[in-house]
Amino acid sequence: MSVDRWPAPSTTVVTGAAGWLGQALLHRLVADPARQRIRVLVRDNTEADAVKPVLDAAEARSQVVVGDIANPRTVDQLFDGVGADCDVLHTAGVIHPQRIQHLFDVNTTGTEHMVTAAAKAGVRRFTHVSSNSPFGTNPHPDDVFRADEPYHPYMAYGRSKMQGELAVFAAVEGGLDASIVRPPWFYGPFQPPRQTTFFRMVRNGKFPVIAGGHQRRSMVYVDNLVDGLLLAELTPQARGKGYWIADAKPYLVTEIVDTVGRALRDEGFSVKDGALRLPALAARVAEVADGLIQGTGRYQQQLHVLGEMGHTIACDIALARVELGYDPTVDLYEGMRRSIRWCVENGLEL
Amino acid sequence: MSGLTASMPRLDAEVLIIGSGAGGATTAALLAEAGIDVLIVEEGPWVDQGSVTPFSLEQMDQQYRAGGVTVALGLPSIAYTEGRCAGGGTEVNSGLYFRPPVDVIERWSAQHRIRDLDPDALSVIAAEIEQALTVSTVPGRTTPASEILRDGAAALGWQHNEIPRWMAYPPGGDAVTGKRQSMTRTFLPRAFAAGARMIVDCRVDRLHMAGGTGRSAAVTFADGSTGVITFRDVIVCGGAIQSPALLQRSGIHGYIGRTLAVHPTVKLSARFRDEVNVPDDVPVHQVKEFAPDLSFGGSASHPGLVALALTDHWKAFSKSVVQWRQIAIYYAAITSEGRGWVRAIPGLRDPLVTYRLSHRDRQLLRSGLARLTLLMLEADAEEVYPSFRGAPIVRNRADIASMQQAFAVSKASVMTVHLCSSVPMGELPGRSGADSFGRVHGTSNVFVNDASLLPTAPGVNPQATVMAIAIRNARHFISSRSTTDTRSTTDTRNIKGHHER
Repeated sequence: MSVDRWPAPSTTVVTGAAGWLGQALLHRLVADPARQRIRVLVRDNTEADAVKPVLDAAEARSQVVVGDIANPRTVDQLFDGVGADCDVLHTAGVIHPQRIQHLFDVNTTGTEHMVTAAAKAGVRRFTHVSSNSPFGTNPHPDDVFRADEPYHPYMAYGRSKMQGELAVFAAVEGGLDASIVRPPWFYGPFQPPRQTTFFRMVRNGKFPVIAGGHQRRSMVYVDNLVDGLLLAELTPQARGKGYWIADAKPYLVTEIVDTVGRALRDEGFSVKDGALRLPALAARVAEVADGLIQGTGRYQQQLHVLGEMGHTIACDIALARVELGYDPTVDLYEGMRRSIRWCVENGLEL
Repeated sequence: MSGLTASMPRLDAEVLIIGSGAGGATTAALLAEAGIDVLIVEEGPWVDQGSVTPFSLEQMDQQYRAGGVTVALGLPSIAYTEGRCAGGGTEVNSGLYFRPPVDVIERWSAQHRIRDLDPDALSVIAAEIEQALTVSTVPGRTTPASEILRDGAAALGWQHNEIPRWMAYPPGGDAVTGKRQSMTRTFLPRAFAAGARMIVDCRVDRLHMAGGTGRSAAVTFADGSTGVITFRDVIVCGGAIQSPALLQRSGIHGYIGRTLAVHPTVKLSARFRDEVNVPDDVPVHQVKEFAPDLSFGGSASHPGLVALALTDHWKAFSKSVVQWRQIAIYYAAITSEGRGWVRAIPGLRDPLVTYRLSHRDRQLLRSGLARLTLLMLEADAEEVYPSFRGAPIVRNRADIASMQQAFAVSKASVMTVHLCSSVPMGELPGRSGADSFGRVHGTSNVFVNDASLLPTAPGVNPQATVMAIAIRNARHFISSRSTTDTRSTTDTRNIKGHHER
């Protein structure tokens, strides 16, 4: 199937460039000589140092802006002189905050600043990275989120991302050409150090499996996500639409644990059999506790993750396949092997 | 009205059929046509099709049990409705026809060990039913309320269909011109033509059992007088509430009434710019994107019912009631993991019905209501009024998030019309109420042949499945009888019993 595509724009603006997705994206952009100018936003000097190695390869094509999208002055600076032949890849977002308010400052207010500035600059396409969280969890393990679903935000993060989406759609009504990608749980190279916990839990036979692990989870290998993101950027037809970008199919939780165990073994790690089998009640209790703590403005990551583990979060990528020509090539086993190798190469202890 | 009165207190029939709905009427026609002496007793009145406005409050009053207000207790309680008239539910339901789903039949056959339950054989029977009831789609236009379902689903890329109905349409006729091919127009006249008799306004209080054999039925007529009907065999077709209740009142205590299954539904009303309300018909489109777990369709939207639906948050919704012509009511129905109980209580006329929804059921109802709301917005609804206490008015997608936040099943007006599975058939020891052909376990001549037999709720409008199973079982009854004795019929044949119109 052939899908109309634009050529790369003369200017590509990337927010969240030092993030997990941002770094994977940046490697791809830098490797493409058609991307004449790449302007990236990072939060602080530490992040600027993190992206320096890859941007060095792009030399004169790259520009770095340091600041926070919650600050409109930073955003104005980011858009200064970009011209109309410009695409924006808005990957900046906060998932695990220090304080709940931080979610809204970045995911909602920051996105509002971004779409306002992008509309003013008259950019060609603004592609926003959303999440599954504005849509909550599936009502039962066999259910799959269709292309278009009613909002049912999961906790504060889900609300902040929903409001981010609403800001994007409102801007589209106002004339901005924007598209949205919705990745579920992702994995792959450039993972933050906290993600090594995931591999360690599997290695130690301690990954929490709730109520038999019959839940299903959509996941996305970060390079598959970059594929989808760039397609949502370059496909004219994507205007005003949102797309699930995930691996080809959702995985059973038990399948995830088994596959990661197998990938670890095949990369030469010892893996204890089994998992931490917990009753459904454990996840419910964690979920309630998570909600209560978030209600006080604070955030506890382990509780949040455990609470969500009891649910199915599965999505259908059919629309992205049809309208964007998206075709995820890396599956869970291969993606996990690559992640493990990346961790080893980068000195992360598993 | 009825052909028999209290002056004839003692009656006899070869086969007594209790109830005249989708199960009873088909059974009566087949048995009578096979030369069997059949007497049908029906608790409700005979109401001619067309004499009462379809889907109206008046109809609820005349043709439903307790005016349509019956409740399965639980958290939340679930309102259900049962037809209580000649023809039973077939006189008043939406008339939407689904062939018995092959996967469901196969699952029933395997999991409930039902002998010779063959999907292909049922398909052949289904074809007969389609012909007998002139099952067809609307030749002309479907109603605006129906097209909303079609258009909203199409906008979302969700699978949707026009469901055929047992209606007879004039050539090119629109949806509202159809004549419902209910039991009083089809299988009951067939039964009468073959010599079957029928008494209406006659309630069976209990069966007198001697060991495992039913001997007679104690009945009460509309005027309060009582009588006795003796029989050789009895076939109970009172529906999934009344059939198990009668068996229990008769002292039959097998696996009876413990596995009531329903399709719980939640509703919303939606207001559009145009006049979409059709007071006397229901939509023929259904949305099957999430089937079998979740289905969307249209409900009766008579102005009285619109007002009733808006009472869930009257303070916020009431000002819209004057715009009822722009409002239609829709439902989201689920297949439920939960189960209900039907228990006859000594001294009480009606059984106690309870139902418990599972965690999954609750999630599905919430999600179903939200997805249905999204569909309404895509079909350009100006306002959506979800049917739960304190619900917000939904005008845009952000409002759906608030609605889901506010939703709890315990606040919702959960209701159901598809009641089944209270006397599940099969050969599972201790887990089947009746055998593979409807004979109640532990009895020699007491049969059930209605929706009670379906092992689970089928996930689609069940009438055609009920009829197909009933016809299958009736044929089995006839063929197994012809190989045993052929006792001559009694002298009650000369009683002109059949209802006179």
